[in-house]
Amino acid sequence: MSDQTPSGPTVPEPRTPEPRIPDPRTPDPKVPELKTPDPKPLDPGTRERLTVLVTGASGFVGTEVTARLTAAGHTVLAVLHHNGDLVRNNGRGLAPGPGTLTRIAGDVTRPGLGLSGDDRRLAADADRIVHCAAVTDFGLPGGRYERVNVEGTRHVLGLALAGRTPLVHVSTAYVCGERDGIAYEDELEVGQRPGNDYEKSKLAAETLVRKAAADGLPVTVVRPSIVTGATRTGRVRDLKTVYPVLRVLTRGLLRTVPGHLDAVLDLAPVDRVADLVTEAATRFEDAEGRTLHAVGHELTLRDMSDVLAEYPSFHVPRFVPPSAFSARALPGRERPYYDRVVSLYAPYFRRRVRFDATRAGAFGHRPPAKGAHAYLRRLLDHCLATGYLGPPPRKGPHAARPDGSTHR
Amino acid sequence: MILTEERLQDLLDKSLAELPPDTEWAVTLEGSIAEGFGNPSSDIDFLLVSRRADDLPTMPSLLFVDGRRVEIRTRSVRQLAEQFREVERSAGRPAGISEDLLNRCQRVLHSHPLRGHALVEEVKALLPGERFRRITAHWWAHRARQSLRHALALQCLGESDEAVDWTRAALVQSVKSWAADLGETYLEPKWLSMQLDRAGRTDVRDRYWELESAAVPPGDAGAAHFHLTACLDFAEDLGLTDLPRRPERLTVARVAGVTTWQTGERVHVVRGRRDVFALGADAGGVWRSLVLGRPLPRVLADSAVTGVTDPGRIVAAFLRHGLVRLAWKGGGTVTPALPLAAPPGHVTPPPSTLQPLLSVGGAAVTGSRAVDLMPLPADRFAAAAMALVWSNVVVENAVEDLTGALRRGQHRVAELTARRAVHAALRGLFSAHGVNPLPADTDLVRRMELLPEGTVPIGVRARELLARGVRSAEDGDALRAELRRFIALVRGAVGADSFPLSFDSAYTWRATLQLGHDWLRMGAHLGAELPIEEARDLLAGNGAQPHPAR
Repeated sequence: MSDQTPSGPTVPEPRTPEPRIPDPRTPDPKVPELKTPDPKPLDPGTRERLTVLVTGASGFVGTEVTARLTAAGHTVLAVLHHNGDLVRNNGRGLAPGPGTLTRIAGDVTRPGLGLSGDDRRLAADADRIVHCAAVTDFGLPGGRYERVNVEGTRHVLGLALAGRTPLVHVSTAYVCGERDGIAYEDELEVGQRPGNDYEKSKLAAETLVRKAAADGLPVTVVRPSIVTGATRTGRVRDLKTVYPVLRVLTRGLLRTVPGHLDAVLDLAPVDRVADLVTEAATRFEDAEGRTLHAVGHELTLRDMSDVLAEYPSFHVPRFVPPSAFSARALPGRERPYYDRVVSLYAPYFRRRVRFDATRAGAFGHRPPAKGAHAYLRRLLDHCLATGYLGPPPRKGPHAARPDGSTHR
Repeated sequence: MILTEERLQDLLDKSLAELPPDTEWAVTLEGSIAEGFGNPSSDIDFLLVSRRADDLPTMPSLLFVDGRRVEIRTRSVRQLAEQFREVERSAGRPAGISEDLLNRCQRVLHSHPLRGHALVEEVKALLPGERFRRITAHWWAHRARQSLRHALALQCLGESDEAVDWTRAALVQSVKSWAADLGETYLEPKWLSMQLDRAGRTDVRDRYWELESAAVPPGDAGAAHFHLTACLDFAEDLGLTDLPRRPERLTVARVAGVTTWQTGERVHVVRGRRDVFALGADAGGVWRSLVLGRPLPRVLADSAVTGVTDPGRIVAAFLRHGLVRLAWKGGGTVTPALPLAAPPGHVTPPPSTLQPLLSVGGAAVTGSRAVDLMPLPADRFAAAAMALVWSNVVVENAVEDLTGALRRGQHRVAELTARRAVHAALRGLFSAHGVNPLPADTDLVRRMELLPEGTVPIGVRARELLARGVRSAEDGDALRAELRRFIALVRGAVGADSFPLSFDSAYTWRATLQLGHDWLRMGAHLGAELPIEEARDLLAGNGAQPHPAR
């Protein structure tokens, strides 16, 4: 894909009738049964002040969602695992307002999120739950994904079902697994093979959410793709996911990568993702029952190669067909970078998948502005400016600075 | 004025008499004589002004009257008004005002009416003189800043002689800005001495001439620096602002359409998807050290870490060739222009004449500091390189097939396979010399005339081999041995590291494929033709070695 082509997914017309989250035929015995008779009445739009419980409120997306909710005058109950500051993507501390922010110590890996009695009562009054908490790092032991992403979602569902509190569940577009073609928002389990343990856990979590929906829980699922820096500045708080890969590749630490030049990476600016999650929470009546792709700029590996080539100091990896790639044949100095970093992202370099965002569009989430190349440049420029990419920053004064000072 | 009113009226009468009778014109004298400058050989420039609605031609009529060259231009009031409006519109961004437009306005505003005084004065009133002074002063100041920034950059880059020339350009531009603000808006620097005399500030005039005539010994960076500082001080005293005192505000910035492609150790830089520059080892090292968007001093400090001597001069070459640009923080791209000249733009050096031009590992270069322009456009350069890699694969493949055919006594098969190997070797030879697209296989030996004379023996040998038949095992063994010698001959012509690669191990096979992928990456970017579809299969599909390593 190039700058000249629309960067939003090119998809057929929406299939009708517009599906809602389907009813599974077999209920999951692990999902708690509904205890309360009626769901909370839905608020007719964003003008009403809501109380929103946000898990993962200090996370990359969670902080931005929290900031948007409080900025719109809503009250956020921020479930925090650690008692740290909420730092926004722009590096500044979150200054809530005009809405209020209440911190709640909690841990999604514990039943009832490990909330204290008082906090449980607070949570019971929440109008919405936005479940952002998840581990998104790759390469962790499988049990960690199961504990946080799957069990964590099960515990959040327990909390939501207890009060029939409408839930916005933040999933990932990559629940589509290893496949080519177009992934639709209303698809979930289509016999796909998850690309890694992270995707597997998010697929399992979303399956739990759908089952809870079938049991009557009002639910919206938002599926971001790869969450990256801000649309206009490229600024990013968390240098995770694609960032370590870019670092290894552009520094020439690994020169050969298994991948297809037409494999597609979808980079979703964090502000776009947070906007959609927030909208889903505040306009829940429009979003209920829907799954929305929060996707961004599609970039093929060839696009990436072309943009990386614009930076003299960057090495551009050679992408070789996965069938021809042999990790054993890598030079010894490159092998650790493959094993520890790039191999974790291998599915992303071979997947030729595009995400249909018709439902998100119908919900009012505009497609990203054209210019996937320009967006990638902003991400790279930001990382160069901070020294994350490029040669390490020099320390101390420039000893050999050819000053050319012209002061009197 | 050096000519009396009577003399001017007489020249005008005679000039108009030579033109076909037409509209009633107002006439005004423009140019150096009207400004109070000029000499006996100066042109007479008459501007004829009409209220006609239609556009009048821009080209002047040239006459010779009483031994003087007379230029007659015609403009309608509407055209002149549009000129003034255009200058007004761009007043806030002087870079957008062309020298020609400013000059046209200046000449009208400072002209001397000869006929139809009322109309001429009506036109002049369209742009008040005071306003025009400010615009012109800003225009010159903008140019002075650009030249000074460029001079400062060149000093940092170690190009002090070049910096001195740009400092001198800035000196003229600075004093022209100052003079314009006093009403001396005549653009050409030709009459600057008279403008300075007329300005009535002997201190400024004398200081200008002192700086203008200051001797700066060639290669003396200290003297160049001192001169630049003195000129900056002078410009500041003249009232120019935002002068470049600190090089930290200069940044090395990206040029759209410039990309870097490395194959093996060779760094290739493609400009505008069209021109390929091959960098020698030192130049490549300096190029690789560039982090665009960083201040120039930091870029230079980073480049110094490469250990390359005088890296700044290599960066200066990158700038000249338009591979990077300089920007002034808050001031956009530095676009220096000599007084009354367009910005020089990017330099395109003569193309490299090295032969052979290419190896599978990259383009040949003239030296370690070289920034050599390839003599063929980028897409054909990449296509030739891919064809070269592919010919290596095919040669080796064909020799293997020949061996197999001889083992089974398949003489006809062996004959054809040997020809295939010869053709592939020739394709490699042509590709290494930058020939792309390639002639048809059957024409290759006929087209040897395209290649340097030293390759003639290869053509002779190829003809012989292509005519050879295989009737027996002995014939076949002899042919195979001669084919090996032929390949060695080609190898000798194009360089041992170029052709053919040895595929006697999995390692060398993989190395070849990797180079193939490097070139494919560049070729894909440029939309270059692949040698044949099989190459894509090999490079982008199976990728497995077609024959087991021996």
